This record gives sequence, structure tokens and C-alpha cells, in this order.
Amino acid sequence: MGAILDILSWAAFLGGSFFYVVGAVGLNRMPDVFTRMHAVSVSESLGVGLMVLGMMLQAGLTLVTVKLVIILLALWATGAVATHALARAALHDGEKPLLADAGGRLVPTDPVSLFPELGVRLAAPLVSESVEAEAAPVRTDETGPDGPAAGAGNGSGDNGGT
Amino acid sequence: MFAIAIIAVLVGLALAVVRILAGPTAFDRLLAANNIGTSAIMLLALFGFMTGRPEFLDIGITYVLLNMIGTLAVLKFFRYGALGHAQDPEREGDLR
Repeated sequence: MGAILDILSWAAFLGGSFFYVVGAVGLNRMPDVFTRMHAVSVSESLGVGLMVLGMMLQAGLTLVTVKLVIILLALWATGAVATHALARAALHDGEKPLLADAGGRLVPTDPVSLFPELGVRLAAPLVSESVEAEAAPVRTDETGPDGPAAGAGNGSGDNGGT
Repeated sequence: MFAIAIIAVLVGLALAVVRILAGPTAFDRLLAANNIGTSAIMLLALFGFMTGRPEFLDIGITYVLLNMIGTLAVLKFFRYGALGHAQDPEREGDLR
């Protein structure tokens, strides 16, 4: 039983090491940011997953395995979210993905030309600018009509009461 | 067998450092920095197992959460130019 677990654990560690190095090599070989994200996701999901699996097999059914499960789930969840946010921030910053043209060469392509609805979202004003621009006029508009109207309502109510 | 995995993680760490030094855009560097954070967590866990003290995993859990928050904070700074706005629910958020 122990020998079988050791063999499985060895296989998991070797596979995890392989995928980890492959992802890191892809990080250096890929041509632009978006494909590099793809390469890194290999090492952050498969590489880490197999290594943690190997450690779980070594630890057995103990509290250590529970902690490993927590680390694994947190890494998988946060890796996906961070990659999503990174791609979004890169697109919003004007980073153009490399796409193949008709001749098969890689050229930086504006993604808005392929997906017009993306342009609407990317052209939306940033929150930091729009909040400051809209907050001031809205506040003056509300206090202007509301102040006198509220005062008149209160006055008429008082008059009716007395 | 832990030593082999540690060597693989160290190789990945070195390649990520190369990308940080070479990366043309800030997003490349941020991607590599995130990868280095993951490598640090794996090194902590593997080193704890190799020395027979898996208590290092508690530090690893802390690092996972710090890594996530750090990456999202830098990305939010890139996109909005500032940290810590009151978020209007009708507007587009930074994760939506």
C-alpha cells in the first residue's frame, strides 16, 4: 500500500514539475501578453494541481490534506480571477492581441474591429472620471429645486394645521 | 521526490524573473509577478514537506490570499488610476 502511494506520488510530482516548467518556458516563448497568460495558466492549474496532489498522497487523511485542499482551491479560484482582470485591464489599456492575417503572419489587431460590442464597453468612461464629473452637477440640481419645495410643503402643512 | 519538484519550481521562478526583466509591457511583468507569488507558495509547501514540518502550509494559505489581493490592487490602479472608490452598483465594476 505504501509503495503504491509512493509510486503515485512520484508520478504526480514528476507530472507537476513538467507542467510547471512548460508553463514557465511558455511565459518566455509566447509572443504577446494574452498568449503568455494562456501559458502561465498551464503551470498555475495543472502544475500546481499535480504537485499538491502528490503532497496529499504523502500526507494521507490528516489535517495537512485539508490545508492542501484549501490552498489548491484558493489558487485555482484566484488564478482564474486574476487572469480575467489582467486581460481586461490590458484590453482597456489599448493592448492589441497578435492575430494571424490572411497571409498567416502575426499582426497586432484591434479587437474592436472583430467584436464591435467590445468597443462600447472599452469606450465607456472610467469610474474615477465619471463620478467626479457627475457628482457635482447632480448635487446642485437636487439642492436647488428640493430646498425651496420642501420648505414650501412644510409651510403649507403648518398653515393647514393651525 | 520533493527535491525534484523544488528544482522545477525554482526553474519556473528563474524564468519568470527573466520575463519580469524583459517584459515589454507592465502587464507582462504583473503576470510574471503573479507567477512568482504562486511559486513562493509552492516552495513553502514543498520545503515544509521536505523537512518534515508541514506546518509551513499555514503560511502558504496566507500567501495565497495576499497574492490575490496584491494582483487585484495593482490592476485596479492601472485601470482607474486610483485605489478605493465608492463603487456605484449600476456602473461597470473592475471585476465585471
